[in-house]
Amino acid sequence: MKDAIANFLAESQARELMLYLLGNVPGLPPIVQTFHIAGICIVVGSIVMINLRFLGIAVPSQNITEMLDRLMPWMWWALLVNVLSGLVFVIARPLRYFYNPVFPYKLALLIPAVILAFLVYRLNRSEQKYWESSASRLRYGQFLAAVSLALWVGVIISGRWIAYWDYLPFFYE
Amino acid sequence: MNEESSVPFTEFWSWLQALPLSEHIGFTWWFPLLESIHVLAIGLVVGTILMVDLRLLGLAATRYPASRITLELVPWTWLGFVVAFITGFGLFMAGATRYVENPAFQIKFMLLPLAALNMAWFQFRTMRTISSWDDATVPPATAKLAGATSLLLWIGVLLAGRWTGHLL
Repeated sequence: MKDAIANFLAESQARELMLYLLGNVPGLPPIVQTFHIAGICIVVGSIVMINLRFLGIAVPSQNITEMLDRLMPWMWWALLVNVLSGLVFVIARPLRYFYNPVFPYKLALLIPAVILAFLVYRLNRSEQKYWESSASRLRYGQFLAAVSLALWVGVIISGRWIAYWDYLPFFYE
Repeated sequence: MNEESSVPFTEFWSWLQALPLSEHIGFTWWFPLLESIHVLAIGLVVGTILMVDLRLLGLAATRYPASRITLELVPWTWLGFVVAFITGFGLFMAGATRYVENPAFQIKFMLLPLAALNMAWFQFRTMRTISSWDDATVPPATAKLAGATSLLLWIGVLLAGRWTGHLL
């Protein structure tokens, strides 16, 4: 199925159009990448500060419930910007991404990271003060916060390494 | 090779780039590793300063006093900045002679001091009067101006930083 999708994209007119735009609109590649990085800043800023708050390390005067309600909408919009700006490059060069040894790792970290963020957000919406209503729930939330931090750090690092996969032989030598 | 460089201190940049550490960064997996950490640190810098800027503009977190948002978030901005600076310097060492002549890199390092000046101005001038508008949903024009300036400068830094890699 991977081959089918990769080939479909590689032979599509969408790819032709994307490649043409990236190659002919002055500065388009760095501009699209800047949207991607700005999105990362909003996602990382929100997720890191919420998780550090869960762990009792940062922003003591803000409470978890209110932070989730206030920051997560920004985070979802930024994530959408990241998906769209990322797709520009995947559509333009599908084979580069579909057959990149690092790209699957990024997705394997990103998907659980997004699902986890969604669960933490939904539970908080379903019941006010969900994460602060008992000590055991808070401890559970802290465990999830640590997992979430590790996943998002992994997403950013693997994202950057997509462009450097040829440095990887170091790791299996 | 014989081309006259347009940038001063040519010999210093060449010396820096020829250091064993610089060569190690430039020729091994250290470069992508430092770059990954650089991106993470940028996320913390811009993510947190954005929250402060939006509060100063009266667009977000208006239930909190502006001073509280600033005091609780700016230390994290600084932590991110220190990490970004150290990792960025490592990346710079690996190709110093090319970076100093890179127009995008030059613009980035014009925008960064402006962002610092804006922050200092806000800290030492505008913050002095903060007690009179701390709880205001919409801060006064000077605070809004500082927030908007910061926002624009940091977007410029991101753009120039990302553009640097396209001109090497």
